[in-house]
Amino acid sequence: MPHRWGMAVDLDRCTGCGACVTACHAENNIPTVGDSQAARGRAMHWIRVERYWEGEYPDVTLKFRPVMCQQCDAAPCEPVCPTYASHHTDEGLNAQIYNRCIGTRYCANACPYNVRFFDFFHPQWPKPLDAQLNPDVSVREVGVMEKCTFCVQRIHAAAIDAKAANRELKDGEIQPACVQSCSAKALVFGDLNDPDSEVSKLSRSDRGHKLLDGLGTLPKVTYLNRPQA
Amino acid sequence: MDRRDFIKLTAVTGTSAALASCGNPEHQLIRFVPEEDIIPGIAAWKPSVCPVCSAGCAVNARVMDADIETVRNGQRGVVRMNVAKKLEGLPKDPISRGGLCARGQAAIQMTYHPDRIVQPLKREGARGTGQFKPIGWDEAIAELVSKLDALAASNDQKSLAIVARPRRSRRSELLAEFARRFGGPPPIAFDLFGDDVLRRANAISFDHDQLPTFDLARARYVISFGADFLGTWNSPVAQNAAYGEMRQGRPGIRGRFVQVESRMTTTGASADEWIPVKPGTEGVLALGLVHLMNRGPERTAPQAGAASRTDAARPFQGGDDEYTPQRVEQITGVPVKRVERIAKELADLRPAVAIVGGPPLAHTNAMFTALAVNALNTALGSVNQPGGIFFTPGAAIQAPASSPQTPYTSLGTTKVLLIDDANPVYTSPTAWKVKDAIANIPFIASFASFVDDTSVFADLILPDHSFLESWVQSSAESGSLEAASTVAEPVMKPIHDTRATAEVLIEVAGKLKAPVSLPWKDAEELAKSAQLPAPSNQRPATSPRPPAPGPRFEEPRFDGDAAQYPFHFLPYLSPAFGDGSSAHLPWLQEMPDPLTSAMWSSWVEMNPQTAQKLNVRDGDLVDLTSTQGTLRVPAVIFPGIAPDIVAMPVGQGHEHFTRYASGRGANAISLIAPIAEPETGAVAWAATRVKVARAADANGTLILFAAEMRERPHEYKVR
Repeated sequence: MPHRWGMAVDLDRCTGCGACVTACHAENNIPTVGDSQAARGRAMHWIRVERYWEGEYPDVTLKFRPVMCQQCDAAPCEPVCPTYASHHTDEGLNAQIYNRCIGTRYCANACPYNVRFFDFFHPQWPKPLDAQLNPDVSVREVGVMEKCTFCVQRIHAAAIDAKAANRELKDGEIQPACVQSCSAKALVFGDLNDPDSEVSKLSRSDRGHKLLDGLGTLPKVTYLNRPQA
Repeated sequence: MDRRDFIKLTAVTGTSAALASCGNPEHQLIRFVPEEDIIPGIAAWKPSVCPVCSAGCAVNARVMDADIETVRNGQRGVVRMNVAKKLEGLPKDPISRGGLCARGQAAIQMTYHPDRIVQPLKREGARGTGQFKPIGWDEAIAELVSKLDALAASNDQKSLAIVARPRRSRRSELLAEFARRFGGPPPIAFDLFGDDVLRRANAISFDHDQLPTFDLARARYVISFGADFLGTWNSPVAQNAAYGEMRQGRPGIRGRFVQVESRMTTTGASADEWIPVKPGTEGVLALGLVHLMNRGPERTAPQAGAASRTDAARPFQGGDDEYTPQRVEQITGVPVKRVERIAKELADLRPAVAIVGGPPLAHTNAMFTALAVNALNTALGSVNQPGGIFFTPGAAIQAPASSPQTPYTSLGTTKVLLIDDANPVYTSPTAWKVKDAIANIPFIASFASFVDDTSVFADLILPDHSFLESWVQSSAESGSLEAASTVAEPVMKPIHDTRATAEVLIEVAGKLKAPVSLPWKDAEELAKSAQLPAPSNQRPATSPRPPAPGPRFEEPRFDGDAAQYPFHFLPYLSPAFGDGSSAHLPWLQEMPDPLTSAMWSSWVEMNPQTAQKLNVRDGDLVDLTSTQGTLRVPAVIFPGIAPDIVAMPVGQGHEHFTRYASGRGANAISLIAPIAEPETGAVAWAATRVKVARAADANGTLILFAAEMRERPHEYKVR
């Protein structure tokens, strides 16, 4: 049975610290764009921590929600791509093929989660900052769209290791960078086709919900509510 | 030659000329012989220790091969070598347990920073202009030796000063030993946001002169007084891990968490209940809870292991009787009903633990507050009990810093200053005039890796290796229930012409005319060595006693008259930059702040009502004025702050700190008045008052990642 990769985000564990944001930059060679481009809304964060204020002082609450590509089963970004750069893989990932992408940005327009980022410039890493680049991840050039891949390079590496050892992938063996870095273990990644995987169990939780569920995008990321105290 | 050949020839020469002129200059560099232990494309993992904060998380560095431009024997070239690619937490480390915070992950950029100092530098232009010329190591060491020899020759060893970062490490011991054996005063290791008050209070209450560790994973109720323990305080990675378990790690049990503070931190945002109190009154609430547990209807039989309840408040003048719920409401602003309910919850939900840190311990009455929360833990029976408060065993004892009230006053008579991993010009209140004092010191040598606000004044810079290129050692003060000690060899070879500061000092010590012998021969031996016994004169023989005749609540004192300066000014440690020491890392500059989504900016947070009164919108510039000076910064409208408080993150506003941080934003520390907590002399950094005035319309210096997202309902009518 093919895998179907998904994630569970336990909002009761998430403390909004931002470790996942930096981990993602480190793993996926995401460039920093600098202050003037960031001010134009061109900063790239494949995962971000959203915050929702409710109420007024002194009865004020704030809720965090880490948002990355929801890896929708009915992804609005896919059918709009004229070059099939944005497409669905056998394992259910919304993949982006950078060298097919011609930068129409239709996918970013179609995505309701605002998780696709356009390379407005050639990425710059003043020497020797380039030494930190992860050789397992291609560097995107100007004019293409990039997004969260669920760290597909880690999925492939683990699959190759498992195949070489002639065994099945174990639950929890694959950790995308954000999941790996999360000290509160708010993020759990795994195979939704395996009903006994941690992520499957969490996805069935009473506390679970999908982001913008009414849109019918069928996300593979499940958020687990913080119980109302 | 016929016509056809001529065309061929021109094509060939033309193409080769074009190729020669537009080639990558990298390819013209000499390629040195690559390292021999490289396996292309295969990653190795090597342990190290994160240097960013004092928690001492062990990290796991992913090492792979890369081309590095470097200098070998004066020749610039490229070498293929094994280098660190990514930092993750070390799974078997009891502190990090495999996780790592944003700052820890970005620490790798310290090694590869484009503005790193790559070889020894000697000042060339006027002092403070940042003009240096590269020199060789022999010359640099000879220069430092000659300056120290000159001090010794005139029998003036006391005029040596060493300014270092306060760390519980062998490195601190080396500096202290060097100073002691040379005949100079002990190193000045000062942390403006240090936890001196809490350490002293813990020594009084629990006989442990160290920061506490909380067994959150087994707690059912957590009440925190101002401590941003999930963000920046104490050992955040370990505390996040335990917090996750507290919430969802036990089937059927979800720990409840209450945060008491006056500005919402990331920690406060995670709380089930957020209780704002008047600044500096947190201790009253804690003793009020002790009182209710002792006398109130919630009184229950003491649990096993709990100290007798009535004893908890005994050290306080008048015991806990003064802190009735009515008086608690009067002082703190927390209604009686709420105080009673919290006390009941504390009685019902055990094990419970209380935490204190941050702004409540940065007031003039901080010692009272710290002792009051300690008394609450005693009353809860949570000391050294599962789900309670512990002290990590085997933590290295740090020699007490020189009087924190005036750490840098001795610099006035200093003739030779050595600076190791510290930026006192940036992290000192303006009134201390540290910049003037340093600018007037005849000779300054720095071991800095970057030209920052302090090292820009250096006459000589002897750049250290980055932590990934060094032997590292740490023994954690807190964060683990078991002893946590890490020693690790360098993850990679140095990429620049830098040297380990430990080895430079050992070499300098040996080359002096009257050589100073140090008990280590190199950095490896230092990292692996056992701790030296602390010289007896540095430790009080008995643990400190509570201030006689016993602490009692006193209103906190503030700098600045309330009529003229109507707002409390709350500087806080930035989740990205801490005290500013990681502001030079581009990943952290571009990481959206968890509470505001601001990037590359500094800002002041104010309550929506306050903003409306001042006619200020998001991004508008305001002038903050304390008795110490004025800062102009953009405003962020922030629902989680009291109307009479404005808060500002520390970390930006460096005059010099690489291309990413120089001249960016404003330094909140410059507004802090040097008002002291009387018991320890620590700076009461939350005790400054300011006035706030609208200065100008938004000018784009406030950059928000979520500017277009409707996350902020106070700006939109929600139907």
